[in-house]
Amino acid sequence: MKKIFAVIKKEYKAIVKKKSFIIMTILTPVLMGGMMFVPVLLMKVGRTEKKIAVADFAGGYYQALTAKPTTRQEPGKPGFDLEGSMRKPRESEVAGLISFRPVKLNGRDAAAVVREYEQKVLKKEIDGLLLIPADVKSGRQVSYYATSISDFATNSFIASTLRTVISQQLLLEKQIDPAVVLEATRDVLVDTFKVKKEGTTKSSSGMDYIMSLFMMIILFGVLIGYGQMIMRGVLEEKSSRISELLISSAKSTHLFYGKVLGIGLAGLTQVALWILLSIILVSRFSGAVDASILSFLTPEIGLYFVVFFILGFFIYAIPYAIVGAAVNTDQEAQQFSTAIVWMMLIPYFIGFSATQNPNTTLALVASLIPIFSPILMFMRITASTPPLWQIVTSIALCSLTIWGLAWLGAKIFRVGMLMYGKKPTLGEILRWVRYK
Amino acid sequence: MNEQALSLKDLVKDFDGKRAVDNISFTVRRGDILGLLGPNGAGKTTTIRMVMNIIAPDAGHIEILGKNFSEKVKDRIGYLPEERGLYRKLQVMDTLLFMGELKGMKVAAIKERGRLLLKQFQLDGYEEKKVEELSKGMAQKLQFIITILHNPELLILDEPFSGLDPLNIELIKDIILSSKREGTTIIYSTHLMEYAEKTVDSLVMIDKGRKVLDGTLAEIKAEYGQKFVKIQYEGDARFVGALPYVKSWRDSGREMEVELADLSKREQLLRDLLEKVTVNGFLLSEPSLQNIFIRKVQEGERA
Repeated sequence: MKKIFAVIKKEYKAIVKKKSFIIMTILTPVLMGGMMFVPVLLMKVGRTEKKIAVADFAGGYYQALTAKPTTRQEPGKPGFDLEGSMRKPRESEVAGLISFRPVKLNGRDAAAVVREYEQKVLKKEIDGLLLIPADVKSGRQVSYYATSISDFATNSFIASTLRTVISQQLLLEKQIDPAVVLEATRDVLVDTFKVKKEGTTKSSSGMDYIMSLFMMIILFGVLIGYGQMIMRGVLEEKSSRISELLISSAKSTHLFYGKVLGIGLAGLTQVALWILLSIILVSRFSGAVDASILSFLTPEIGLYFVVFFILGFFIYAIPYAIVGAAVNTDQEAQQFSTAIVWMMLIPYFIGFSATQNPNTTLALVASLIPIFSPILMFMRITASTPPLWQIVTSIALCSLTIWGLAWLGAKIFRVGMLMYGKKPTLGEILRWVRYK
Repeated sequence: MNEQALSLKDLVKDFDGKRAVDNISFTVRRGDILGLLGPNGAGKTTTIRMVMNIIAPDAGHIEILGKNFSEKVKDRIGYLPEERGLYRKLQVMDTLLFMGELKGMKVAAIKERGRLLLKQFQLDGYEEKKVEELSKGMAQKLQFIITILHNPELLILDEPFSGLDPLNIELIKDIILSSKREGTTIIYSTHLMEYAEKTVDSLVMIDKGRKVLDGTLAEIKAEYGQKFVKIQYEGDARFVGALPYVKSWRDSGREMEVELADLSKREQLLRDLLEKVTVNGFLLSEPSLQNIFIRKVQEGERA
């Protein structure tokens, strides 16, 4: 037994001392944090002011565009703009960054104005030309000329502002008070409360969904990363011909378990450091973090993450180790490891729907299948609270599978480690299992 | 204590229907150096791997250090495989620590003995270097240090000289001899018989999986040694092969080695030679292991 610890120690130290381990450990939480804050920051910093010329053939719309969007930000979004409600916050930011200027028409027709402004756009005197035709009220079509037309925020700001103005004009013509319509079509907001054993918390369903996916991606990434590390480690022992020396010194099962455990512990260390760093980061910048993220990351979720990380680690690491022992070159290993990644992608895809509907039969059955459980059962736990028996069953089934895999893996490892040269067939590998 | 460090009995191993090791039996006395000799592909490595329990024999029995092979016995054996390698990214001292612990040593003991051996092999100062930073010769030395790190009672070296430069060959030979003086039993395989000749106490020769000869070096030389004559000559000496008292002969054109049925016939041979050719030299000689091997193999083929 002492030898198994020697192997664990060596494997653990070899990984933890690597520069890439230290960098990834520090960088990942920072990058994750960055992913939450940076888009907002970039949005603010990355925009430059746009000068748009408005050729208003209909009249009155130029004033509407330049009016300050004050009423648009009231709670209970106006019904005129239902589909645009998601874009609202962006548009308000956009509004301040666009400066409109009128085009003096002087009786010219649209084609002449376009000809003149095409030159100005090309010379970058202005960024764009907005052409509002006289029949905009019935035709509902305007034209926008610019070198860059992919700025959706600007386009949708123009569209929704014009729509609101047209709607108001139409209502006034029919002698209906726009305020009444506004009130009548006001949106209904749904506040979501998550009911849990520890108490009910207000949390946003969108954020739960995102966090759930987010945790799954981390789990997925870590499992693949460490699985491949084991595979490469075994392959290195094989290709550098250390295996014969190792097997002449210690039991192959000890070498095998020691390796898997050592690398697993290194992975667990990394996850633990991530959790620790995240806690520090969150407590440091808690003001900037959405409260629903904090309510999502309960100690319970953390515990389940660790449990399912460990289970998932062994379920995927052992096949990776077997691949490493069975093949001879990196290329062959890549082929097999792609198969393992595909196997892991299945729960991942089921997971997308499972976060929204965590209690369907598909989600339930799939989350009990050991090779899927680590990812799927964890997802279901984050999305809702499955009955305890289901969680316990999945953990038990996983443990059983790991036990079987470990037995199988040790056998294949023993023979595969000493097989150099040709790629073994599946039949040969199965024969290895029967060797004594 | 058992007299035998290793005893093989009727060992057989087939690979895909081809017999790699065919009924090999031999014993090694404690404290002896045994050379396992034979050309490439004779079955030396397969035999050693069976001794090390890396592959299982199809038939036969092995007793090592007085017992059947067990996990515990691994700690008492130093094994240098034919296929060598180390962790490239691991530092030299870390490599020793890991390998030493796998042999059941304590960390302090590994460090102490490790430093001593590194110094002896002129690798002191490289403790913190990664294995991949070492030159090929240095890595080979480190590999050898690992083999003897835990003071094994039995050293099993598979082709220890292959790929070494002459300086390192001398170094390894010195270590083998000083280990022997400390009471270690050593078994090594080689296809380079001239090296074996200078170090082994006893030897086993194998060819195509079969044992062709074994015994102590003294016995073998005694059996063959006195009946060989080396002759330098000019002329046509083909008649020698037909002489009734010549058991075998190897002609190289200007020099031949003749095995006599009886040593007393040497003067008769000289007289017969002088009649037909010019004799420049006539010398009683000890046959080289190489020659003995070739002779044994030829005998085997004729039989």
